[in-house]
Amino acid sequence: MTDRPAVDRLTCVLCPVGCELEVARTAAGGVAVAGNRCDKGVSFAEEEVLRPKRNLATSVPAKGTAARMVSVRLSAPVPREMIFPVLAEIGKLRPEAPVRRGQVLIADVLGTGADVLATRTVRGQT
Amino acid sequence: MAETPRTSDVDVAVIGGGPAGLAAALGAKRAGAGRVLVLERDRTLGGILNQCVHDGFGLFLYKETISGPEYAERLAENALREGVAVETGAMVLDLGPDRLLRVNARGGYSLVRAGAVVLAMGCRERTRDMIGIPGTRPAGIYTAGSAQRLVNLQNLRVGNEAVILGSGDIGLIMARRLTFEGVRVKGVFEIMPWANGLERNIRQCLMDFGIPLELRTTVVEIRGRDRVESVVTAEVDDRLAPVAGTETVVPCDTLLLSVGLVPENELSKRAGVELSPLTGGAVVDETLMTSVPGVFSCGNVLHIHDVADWASFEGFAAGERAARYAAGERPAGRTVRVSAGPEVRYALPQTARAGAAGVEWSFRAVRPLRDVRVEVRGRDSGRIYARRKFGRILPSELQKIRVRAAVDEDLEVGLHD
Repeated sequence: MTDRPAVDRLTCVLCPVGCELEVARTAAGGVAVAGNRCDKGVSFAEEEVLRPKRNLATSVPAKGTAARMVSVRLSAPVPREMIFPVLAEIGKLRPEAPVRRGQVLIADVLGTGADVLATRTVRGQT
Repeated sequence: MAETPRTSDVDVAVIGGGPAGLAAALGAKRAGAGRVLVLERDRTLGGILNQCVHDGFGLFLYKETISGPEYAERLAENALREGVAVETGAMVLDLGPDRLLRVNARGGYSLVRAGAVVLAMGCRERTRDMIGIPGTRPAGIYTAGSAQRLVNLQNLRVGNEAVILGSGDIGLIMARRLTFEGVRVKGVFEIMPWANGLERNIRQCLMDFGIPLELRTTVVEIRGRDRVESVVTAEVDDRLAPVAGTETVVPCDTLLLSVGLVPENELSKRAGVELSPLTGGAVVDETLMTSVPGVFSCGNVLHIHDVADWASFEGFAAGERAARYAAGERPAGRTVRVSAGPEVRYALPQTARAGAAGVEWSFRAVRPLRDVRVEVRGRDSGRIYARRKFGRILPSELQKIRVRAAVDEDLEVGLHD
């Protein structure tokens, strides 16, 4: 046994710079971060190590349109373990055209606080 | 009886309406060009962004992370609002002398005479043929981008059990996308000793779902009569040759190839544009002008980018310079050549006007390196024009370095300890 905390190496993915972080868990249950080139790295490491969150994107077929698919994403990341439950909810969607970019297709999906948003505009059939 | 084809005159014609082309059109407009026309062969603007439904776009251009279709719509809306003319369903067949474009448009064959042209045609994926995988020719083999199109835009399922060859970003994104669709992704195999995609994609697309990434490993055979039944993988040695005795049969019905992108320069070649064997794109000067006067290039047709925003920034710059050319500005004077030095695959632009200041060079490392300095050095004087430290540098990441001073000799962009 050692009193030195274990170090997790991970890459900050908040932007394509991809800082290599060394993240040590502290005795107090937090993290100590090194290698970050901006402040975002610290909060990223805390979240990534202690409670990872992910956004997700997919597409669903629309009713009544020639452009058949409406792409969607979440308004905010959700806990990683919610990816597949949220995908199952999105899988039930058959949005009716017209759909506009940014339209909320499911509000507060599964109580995560995140909305499912359309990410492209699909005009109605004329 | 031969009819005279419809002919239009524009200040700047942009070939391709993706992230680079739309930005080029905006750049031209904002620099004062009168008539700016985007010619897009697809039915909609946006190019490859339309099928890139994942987020991670726009961090640099819009200061927030959005999906590909949103990025495309926003850029297209800006272009239309600022007076850019657009023709979709318009395929440019030929770019001739004096910047005369022959176009197969919705209204039929037509001609466009342009004061300046911006090439923004993007790139294509490398195929099985180009990497020569032996075996049968069954159904179930896709380039990663074509699978992405089938899944995201046509709602088709590509298979049940997939193997992905190559760790390029599209392959990584598709590993996650197929997992979402209930396809079992059995592994990503990469011939090089390092991954080719962005780190965040390795983590979020593979590690999150326990998908193995096998480095120094490739596919040496495809098996199956009508449909892929398995692929044979093997480890490779330092010369990338398969090592006998390391073969493993991986049962699967689908093989995705994410083995590189090639700038699509058929039109450029017809126009006589000099191409670089290192980038597959045009040789350009610091204004992004090619060897053909008045013809500019940007985005993936110039060199492969890993971030759409940077293709757009290159587009803005090319469009601005094209507008200035169309307005009669002609760069004059001696040019200097810029070459790739130690550990650098290429540096772009490949030439610059002597006396030009504030030029930004793009470059890629040959292999992953730690604690290096990139230096722009004068080849004769040894003078260091710019220097930047990197704690770590990866071949998958396009990097930039700006030289503030005026350049007046041949230069070399190299990585040094």
